Amino acid sequence: MPARVRELAPYVALLGARWGRIAAGLALMLATVLCAVGLLALAGWFITATAVTAALWSAGAGARLGIHLPGAGIRSFALGRTVSRYFERLYNHDTVLRLLSDLRTRVFARLARLDPATLAQLRPAEHLHRLTADVDALDNLYLRALAPPAIALLGIGALGALLAAFSPAIALTVTGLLLATTLAVTLIALAVGAPIGARVARRAEALRTRLIDTIAGLAELRTLGTLADQRARLDGLDRALTRDRQRLVRLSALGQSAVTLAVQLTAALALFMGIGLYQADAISGPVLALMPLAVIALGEALSSLPSAFVELGRTRAAARHLNEQSGACPRVREPAQPARTPRRDDMALQQVSLRHAPGGEPVLQHAALTIGEYETVAVVGPSGSGKSTVADLCARILDPDSGCVRLGGVDLRRLRFAQLHGRVSYLTQHTELFADTIAGNLRIARPEADDAALRHALSAACLEDVVAGLPDGLDTWVGESGVQLSAGQARRLALARVILRDAPVVILDEPLAHLDEDTATEVRRRLDSWLRHRTALLLGPRAGALPTAHRILRIADGRFARA
Amino acid sequence: MVAIPRQADPTQGEHARWLNARARPVAGWLALSAVGGLVSGLAIIAQAGLIATIVSAAVIDGTGLLALTTAFGALAGAILARAVGDWTRLAAGDAAGKRVCRRLRMDLVDHIAAIGPVRLSGDHSAALANQALEQVDAVDGYFSRFLPQLVLAVLLPVVMLGVAFSLDWVAGLILLAALPLIPTFMALVGAGAEDRNRRQLDAMERLSGHFLDRVRGLATLRLFGRGDDAVTEVARTADAYRKRSMSPLRLAFLSSAVLEFFASVALAAAAIYIGFSLLGYFSFGPASEMTLFAGLFLLLLAPELYQPLRLLAQHYHDRAGALAAAASVAATLARPAQAVPVPRQARRNMRAAAVTLESVTAGHPGRGRVIEEANLQIKPGERIALVGPSGAGKSTLLQVMAGFIAPESGRVTVDGEPPGVPGRAAWIGQRPFLQHGTIADNILLGRPWASRIELEEAARRAGVLEFASQRPAGLDSAIGERGRGLSGGQAQRVAIARALLADTPLLLLDEPTAHLDAAAERRVLEALKRLASTGRTLVIATHHPAVRTMAHRVVIVREGHTVDASARA
Repeated sequence: MPARVRELAPYVALLGARWGRIAAGLALMLATVLCAVGLLALAGWFITATAVTAALWSAGAGARLGIHLPGAGIRSFALGRTVSRYFERLYNHDTVLRLLSDLRTRVFARLARLDPATLAQLRPAEHLHRLTADVDALDNLYLRALAPPAIALLGIGALGALLAAFSPAIALTVTGLLLATTLAVTLIALAVGAPIGARVARRAEALRTRLIDTIAGLAELRTLGTLADQRARLDGLDRALTRDRQRLVRLSALGQSAVTLAVQLTAALALFMGIGLYQADAISGPVLALMPLAVIALGEALSSLPSAFVELGRTRAAARHLNEQSGACPRVREPAQPARTPRRDDMALQQVSLRHAPGGEPVLQHAALTIGEYETVAVVGPSGSGKSTVADLCARILDPDSGCVRLGGVDLRRLRFAQLHGRVSYLTQHTELFADTIAGNLRIARPEADDAALRHALSAACLEDVVAGLPDGLDTWVGESGVQLSAGQARRLALARVILRDAPVVILDEPLAHLDEDTATEVRRRLDSWLRHRTALLLGPRAGALPTAHRILRIADGRFARA
Repeated sequence: MVAIPRQADPTQGEHARWLNARARPVAGWLALSAVGGLVSGLAIIAQAGLIATIVSAAVIDGTGLLALTTAFGALAGAILARAVGDWTRLAAGDAAGKRVCRRLRMDLVDHIAAIGPVRLSGDHSAALANQALEQVDAVDGYFSRFLPQLVLAVLLPVVMLGVAFSLDWVAGLILLAALPLIPTFMALVGAGAEDRNRRQLDAMERLSGHFLDRVRGLATLRLFGRGDDAVTEVARTADAYRKRSMSPLRLAFLSSAVLEFFASVALAAAAIYIGFSLLGYFSFGPASEMTLFAGLFLLLLAPELYQPLRLLAQHYHDRAGALAAAASVAATLARPAQAVPVPRQARRNMRAAAVTLESVTAGHPGRGRVIEEANLQIKPGERIALVGPSGAGKSTLLQVMAGFIAPESGRVTVDGEPPGVPGRAAWIGQRPFLQHGTIADNILLGRPWASRIELEEAARRAGVLEFASQRPAGLDSAIGERGRGLSGGQAQRVAIARALLADTPLLLLDEPTAHLDAAAERRVLEALKRLASTGRTLVIATHHPAVRTMAHRVVIVREGHTVDASARA
């Protein structure tokens, strides 16, 4: 139990920030329940009272019955129930959606604060599931798991108070029975449902991941003939998931039936006990009718409890995901007190050592490298030799285990990201394009750039003719990860983005990858002139695959050496 | 597969028919669900009658507890029947819904596979996955709740009204008066619901796609100092989603409030009519014969009379959601499958494939014709290098040979059969596909039943062992989605190992050495040569001179035409 509470605690705390709305929402819910109870109980009392009065009249006895007050009461309960129900639902759903919107944004903000190395360990498919499904799953928490039990308790209490006015014994029996059965049903639903719910969450995630993998890898899977195997695995996962979901539905249906059974039998018991009291003249006939009817009317407020708690397992799994992710700590952090932005644009690695994993092979060992202002340095080496790591260090995607990386003499760790990325622009080895237009992809580098600036950047990357040839030009949509462009075109678009950024320090990791010889030659020529007044670090498998550099270094055994 | 409406935007009626066609195989479960609801409804009537009997007997006739034992026993029985009926209704309905969803999901998966990788390249894989998961799930409620309730909403009120009329026809009329208003309002409110729900689903889909895309590119966003802007953008998208969600909810609540209002008014009116009749204030019609039994029975029946309709109104939104989802799912199912279906029968043990292209013209939507009237004859065991400027159509040519896209005109055959026979070709794209799992898992995709020795041999020949052996878990080291955790060259080598293991008669490679340094490239080329020398046919699109040297023949692709450049000795 404590673990459960802890997992959900941050989200319960989140409700605290909106306690005014929550309290108002609960009051509206309670008003709805009380109106429903009032309506049926009063109507039952009224009908019985009129029948008793009529019987007395026909027996010749004098009796009086005020009819205006009960009549008005019945009408106002009827209206009150409708009005409070409508506003309660509207208000509470808006509250929940507000909470969810807050939560969704916070989740992304937390992700955005993580460094790419940490991010790479969390997987995109999971993130997607987190933001949409996990966050949505948490709406169960307030509207279904926290509010209804509160209302159930308050409702049972109010019913007890009403019944106690006529018979403490019946009041005690009814409240005791209702409390005990709803509590028992709820706890059983929770205990049985929790593991199934957690399994459903896990399997749904696995199914999503595999489905995304299957769609992304359709080309390979089709040609290799393993699509059938993949389909069989998807089918098996879906079958297991469906089976569990059905279990959950059956469980919540069972809980609902159990609550109905408990409420209606309690009503019957109240009637049974009432008849005894009536015959002993302890209560009147109208009150005898009122008591079971009041119990029956409360039933609706209790019937949704089991399903909410059956679902709680899934809610907890969602909460756990969100917690795990908020627990992830960025390895690269901004300084509390940043240094001034350096004035010079030289770059230096000093005695830098780094291992990707503790105890793993060192990628760099006391490596030293200096790039003077306006100097272009190429670092070459085979794949896996640590070239991209050097680039990552210079852009502060990673921090060294020891030693330091300086820009204009200032340790990068003493600069805010905005200061650093204002001066250093980095073309990563992975081409990352967004599902957006060509213009939209370019403007990520400089949102205020006009079309002329975009064309200029495209021209520097030898892409202007390609874009001019497209029917929609700059407004051409680039598909998922830019797949509608050829790899070479996507690479040049990413390059144009870096060029548009126009930073004084540039890091280009394999800028000419995927280009055919003719295009590569032309891009190299244009880059040479663009790089003339910049400090540049170029990385590639060999010098021939890079623009012209002043110096060429080879990276081997974690150190730089002249090539 | 169910017949799919051909129109681009079929009307609501067609979507409903499309859904109903899917209900046929689960008709038994739907009927059982309706029977459960009927049993529960009849038990409710019995329960109301018994409570009225007991109160009336006790209050008016002064009957003692002992004499009422039978009535109490019957009451308990009715309550039990009610609970069992309810459970049956929910469980059987769910069984129907889940069965439909299972089928639909797998149909959709099959169709997505049939559309093929090239035609899907403009789609977000996450958005498609979302369609196969959330949108298919949205169909559930139509079968599990709406359809059974549709039957109950007609039957139960009729039975209950019959009871009410037999008790007192004026009270029956009061209850009846509110009844027709309910479907009227429901139709009014429900009219726009499907459209709204569809927009809601679209918004949800866009929200998923937008988020995945932004998360994928977070590193880039950070490098350009745009992390905070992206947070604001996500906040805006999420808030727009909230606003979008509220509008269908407002309607849903309004419609149920209207129903509740009429139900409450009818209940109040009936209660007052009954009370006044009992007091003798009304003397018309049956009012003078009103009894406590009839009055209480009517009072308890009144809310239950509207309950099936109220539930139907709630589930009407399930229907709207299902129709919206059906529209979207049906649209995907109606997308033309690539014209080259995956041929079923595969002749195995072909050592090398012959490929023939006869005046082939093909292209991509949005990019127009990429290759025109291309001709190419590839003999079994031949190694072909496709060269040419980027964008000239080298990849498209390979995609045609793989059967990913059908040519607009012309003929393509692999060993005299249409291309795309499973297991006939191995494909290595510009971006190697790597799925979440271990390195070994990814290599084994080529031939899942391969032995560990075969696996290690392929890994060795592709140069995978070289870097994998430096990791603690070796080939069993985990790698992330899209090859995260591997360098570009390493990812490509895994893909090559997979192709080596698959041992297919045709190898289609789209610039496989783009990422590799000279040393790794040499190793891979040697491995490919070794494989080719055993007789495999190999077609490589490449820019690299080193790759050309291993080809028997270099084919230049220029503006969509193929030109045989050389026949090397």
